[in-house]
Amino acid sequence: MKRVCSVISIMLVAYVCMGCAVFGRGKDFTPFDENSLNQVTTGTTSAGEVTRLFGPPNKVVKLSNGNAYVYERSIEKATGLWLVVLSFGNWDKQYDRIVFFINNDDVVTHFGSSFNAETASYAMPF
Amino acid sequence: MRCRFNSIIWLTAALLIVQAMSGCVSLQFGKIQEGVDVLPPPEEFLRKKTSLQEVLSNYGAPTDLVDMNGDFALHFRRALYRGMNVSIGIPLKNALLPSPSVGTDGNLLRYDTVVFIFTADGVLKDMKYEKGTGRSLWEDYW
Repeated sequence: MKRVCSVISIMLVAYVCMGCAVFGRGKDFTPFDENSLNQVTTGTTSAGEVTRLFGPPNKVVKLSNGNAYVYERSIEKATGLWLVVLSFGNWDKQYDRIVFFINNDDVVTHFGSSFNAETASYAMPF
Repeated sequence: MRCRFNSIIWLTAALLIVQAMSGCVSLQFGKIQEGVDVLPPPEEFLRKKTSLQEVLSNYGAPTDLVDMNGDFALHFRRALYRGMNVSIGIPLKNALLPSPSVGTDGNLLRYDTVVFIFTADGVLKDMKYEKGTGRSLWEDYW
């Protein structure tokens, strides 16, 4: 009888644990180095130096008095959990972005940056 | 021991019933988040006074940058989606088609957004903030 109880108990534990979990990670990668921002000085650094330091921009926006170079990359993390009648899904996507404002003389006038890609996390939807 | 054995039998029966129902009832919850929190503009941001560099220092790089025929706009945005699905049905596909079922789902995508509009020389012309995720989920949905 004791052995039967043990077998049934193990089967019950296996049943309760039955289900699926999935963890996914995606990366939209652009190889720029955030430390290179230390080498950028507004009013001095040229558009050519920006592309030498950061590579080709992901996007160029034409403005009335120059251009903006936009660099962007992202990390996304997905979590899924399927239980017997319940399922949960969570998807978190965060970005690293740098934008340089370049005037008609090809000199950087302003720049801004956000580095949040590493804050993307695996989580439940509540 | 007899009592414990009975408990296991009952538990097994309950779990088998749940298993049998697993094709009948399902609940799904989903959440999608894109971007970080967008804060309201600080009080020191003033139209015709605040510069582009001040906004970039506070908010970092924008989500979108748009040319507006002379002026331009910086758009900072966080998107938050919440979805829920409930379905109840009788899975008779193997025996009888069609299988009767009732399902409902609700999805709501909301945005926290701030937009700054600048003149060509980088002076703040206008700004607008809205915290979509702070509103009532229920009221926004209906």
